[in-house]
Amino acid sequence: MVDTTKNTQIYATWGRKMAKPVNPNVAGKMIAKAKRPLLVVGSEIVDNGQLIEKVVAIAKKGIPVAATGHSITALIDKDIGAKYINVHSLGHFLGDKNWGGLDGQGPYDTVIFLGHKKYYLDQVLAGLKNFTDLKNLAIERHFMQNATLSFGNLKPEVHLEALDELIENI
Amino acid sequence: MSDLETGHFSIDDLENVQITIGKIVGAIEKKAKEEGVEVGPTPKPGISGLRDWDYTLLSRYQPVYTPVCDQCCYCTFGKCDLTGNKEGACGINMEAHQARETLLRVITGAAAHSGHGRHILHHLIELYGEDKPIDVGPSNLVAPNIQLVTGIKPETLGDLEEAMDYVEEQINQLLATIHAGQEGAAIDFESKVLHGGMLDHVGMEVSDLAQVSCLGMPKSDPEAPLVEIGMGCIDASKPVLLVIGHNVAGVTYIMDYIHDHDLEDKIELGGLCCTAIDMTRYQTDQGQKPQAKVVGTLAKELKMIRSGVPDVIVVDEQCVRADVLDEAKKLSIPVITTNEKIMYGLRNRSNDSAADIIEDLSSFKEPGALILNFDTLGEVAPELAIKMAKIRDEIGIKALPSDEELQELSAKCVQCGACEMDCPANLPIMEAMRAGVENDFSKFEYLHDLCIGCGRCDQACPKDIPVLNMIEQASRKLISEEKGLMRAGRGQISDPEIREEGVNLVLGTTPGIIAMVGCSNYPNGTEDLYKVADEMLKRNYIVVMSGCSAMDLGMYKNEDGETLYEKYPAKFLAGNLINVGSCVSNSHITGTAIKVAAIFAQRNVTGNYEEIADYITNRIGAVGVAWGAYSQKAIAIGSGCNRLGIPVVVGPHGSKYRRALIGKPYDEESWKVYDARDGSEMPIPASPEFLLTTAESIEELFPMLAKNCIRPSDNNMGRMIKLTHYMELSQKYLGHMPEDWYKFVRTETDLPLAKREELLKILEAEHGWEIDWKRKKILSGPTMKSDVSSQPTNVKRLCKGEC
Repeated sequence: MVDTTKNTQIYATWGRKMAKPVNPNVAGKMIAKAKRPLLVVGSEIVDNGQLIEKVVAIAKKGIPVAATGHSITALIDKDIGAKYINVHSLGHFLGDKNWGGLDGQGPYDTVIFLGHKKYYLDQVLAGLKNFTDLKNLAIERHFMQNATLSFGNLKPEVHLEALDELIENI
Repeated sequence: MSDLETGHFSIDDLENVQITIGKIVGAIEKKAKEEGVEVGPTPKPGISGLRDWDYTLLSRYQPVYTPVCDQCCYCTFGKCDLTGNKEGACGINMEAHQARETLLRVITGAAAHSGHGRHILHHLIELYGEDKPIDVGPSNLVAPNIQLVTGIKPETLGDLEEAMDYVEEQINQLLATIHAGQEGAAIDFESKVLHGGMLDHVGMEVSDLAQVSCLGMPKSDPEAPLVEIGMGCIDASKPVLLVIGHNVAGVTYIMDYIHDHDLEDKIELGGLCCTAIDMTRYQTDQGQKPQAKVVGTLAKELKMIRSGVPDVIVVDEQCVRADVLDEAKKLSIPVITTNEKIMYGLRNRSNDSAADIIEDLSSFKEPGALILNFDTLGEVAPELAIKMAKIRDEIGIKALPSDEELQELSAKCVQCGACEMDCPANLPIMEAMRAGVENDFSKFEYLHDLCIGCGRCDQACPKDIPVLNMIEQASRKLISEEKGLMRAGRGQISDPEIREEGVNLVLGTTPGIIAMVGCSNYPNGTEDLYKVADEMLKRNYIVVMSGCSAMDLGMYKNEDGETLYEKYPAKFLAGNLINVGSCVSNSHITGTAIKVAAIFAQRNVTGNYEEIADYITNRIGAVGVAWGAYSQKAIAIGSGCNRLGIPVVVGPHGSKYRRALIGKPYDEESWKVYDARDGSEMPIPASPEFLLTTAESIEELFPMLAKNCIRPSDNNMGRMIKLTHYMELSQKYLGHMPEDWYKFVRTETDLPLAKREELLKILEAEHGWEIDWKRKKILSGPTMKSDVSSQPTNVKRLCKGEC
């Protein structure tokens, strides 16, 4: 089992409520149990074939995908129904109980983040943390302190291993 | 009642006396009446003067807060934990605190510009007198922001003072509201934010009108000269005098001294940041050649100093690194401060002789000097540079590590990751270090354009490895080739140009204005600016540049070796590339939108903010881009655009402004306006769908730009052109047709001609629209009516029959 809870050093931002470090098996089960999960994928995946594979594998487990930035260019031919949306707008809409979601089926309860610029996602998560009651799960390579649950800071190869374990548990 | 023009009188024994004080009560209205000018309802609005307009905007574009810190640390109750929108000890909640923080940032930026404006205005009045006429080129509406906001139609430098008095008084009132125990509503802080942004544009306009009028800068000149830019254009074999900052006042004395003493060929004068742009504009309105070279933006400051090339550094104000003196000292470069805003703890030598100052600095008795006397400054700076070049040469200053040292330094790296985590852009520094051990420095070179030169990596490294210096040493070839041409700021868009192009903008046949402004904190290097500008210019958008973005755009060349400034003309016409000038010239961008309403549409501009902003919101397809925005000044500029209804996109780093203004396209109630002809409500497309937001990458930015140029008043031809660009850019950069394209279709003639039939089929099959295939007409489906003669407005009182 990959331990993804160790290195949770933070650098640029801080507050009193921080993400709880989480292991991939727990994160996977949490996604599996979510009533209305959403995987939000950032454009850092575009030049990373291995990450694209993981995104597709998670999506194939039945998790709808929001593609932010230009990440949609890497997902468009993957038959996973990914929908483009700007992540700042998405952060705004996620807090609105009247939003129908990307598919018109209603608001989400658990949001999973992968493939984002660290500093950018930190800000989006800060908004979600302070103004919504969503469960935000960061399965990024870096510790995202403003998520509800997050992996710690990982080496690239350990990150991929962790994602595999997470996928097995969904 | 008689008017007392001047003099003294006693009122000791009088009763029921009404005193009217010239510049405060009624003076604007009286002067306007004498001149036959109609004054709108809000000359010199106070904090609440445009609150209703702000509420209109904010009801469609809601604030989105993304705190950097979850606590408030403002007072001695604190720190208060506001996580989850909790209230702190004073009763303020997270939302209101974030809005308050935004306000503080905006008025800090506005104060920076207007403080600059006040300084240069005083300086120029001292030199030229209050009666010096304002001359900005062939325009009657010379001060659109000032006239719109204050109601003053300035004709002389003295008139600008009154506008500046208003700005300063209002900034003071806004600053007061930040104090603990005052405003508690986020939405009213937001209204104050917009007020601060509006003031910023007035302050900037004062600043640029004054300097353009007095310092011989280009006056609405599309043929403003092309000037050299880039670290590589500096001739290090000459004594190098480097100027950094935003206020050209003192530097003009240096340039005059160099000119008067025939030193032009004996000294290299380079500038960083907006002072550099203004140096290239100085005394060029009559065809004189620019006297200085532009090194670049703030991102180049540390890099340029650490290169060891400058022999003397002169700083003035704003966007100047706080560590210039410390960094310069290490390389025996004397620093001269010239402005009360930056004094670095240096001794005030303003009253000393030039010879004494030169002697003390060249003998390293003191590392620098504060010189507020510009005559002395004019002599000291160039003479000291000439002397220091020789001295520094003899000392044999060593600035950057050698290649051998690069390898040794790489080997010191323990791959702890602290540099990458502290880097604002999380750049892959460890990878470069790993390759460096193998004598491969290409990965450092790769970092050069991506690195904004902040130096946080150096501070983070537990092994004291000078990361930034390593990047620069590995990139010395790239740096030597970093030279291009930029157009010196041309100043305002003139009234005749507005008359020529205004109709195309309002009807939408010129697809839009893309104003690329702001700082240099780009997510992916400076080349992105080139890509964005080039793509939009090819598509016939008017691209307007200013400040740092204007500089960085001059660094890149196409396959023919041309910069975009060389390739595209600089008139206010579709497909033209305009550099209005330095940071304070940003006021000309909003000024252009105001001019379109005033000159082309004949709307009264004097003190009539709400009506003009409403006009711009509904009719002028302009989007601001501050791709590298980082400073308080940038968010002040953006907020000023926002109050006029002009949307702004910032790069992903802009999320650290902690607040955006984003609408909800799915909330149909938000997307309605009145038709001024009869006051009826009409639905509009969700564009612009934000006033301030971020984009993750330029690929995402492209379709955002095209879409958000769409306006309710587009005619069919205009809508078709705009929609075509939106679809094409979305397909080109995101690989798919945008999902919401059909929402912008009112009638079949809104559809791109080449794809009309194909798109009609999609409308019928996927959206259930009814199509008459014989005539290829849409019979039902669109939510918007197709009526290009409608008069969209957000202001009920502007409708016929309303008061």
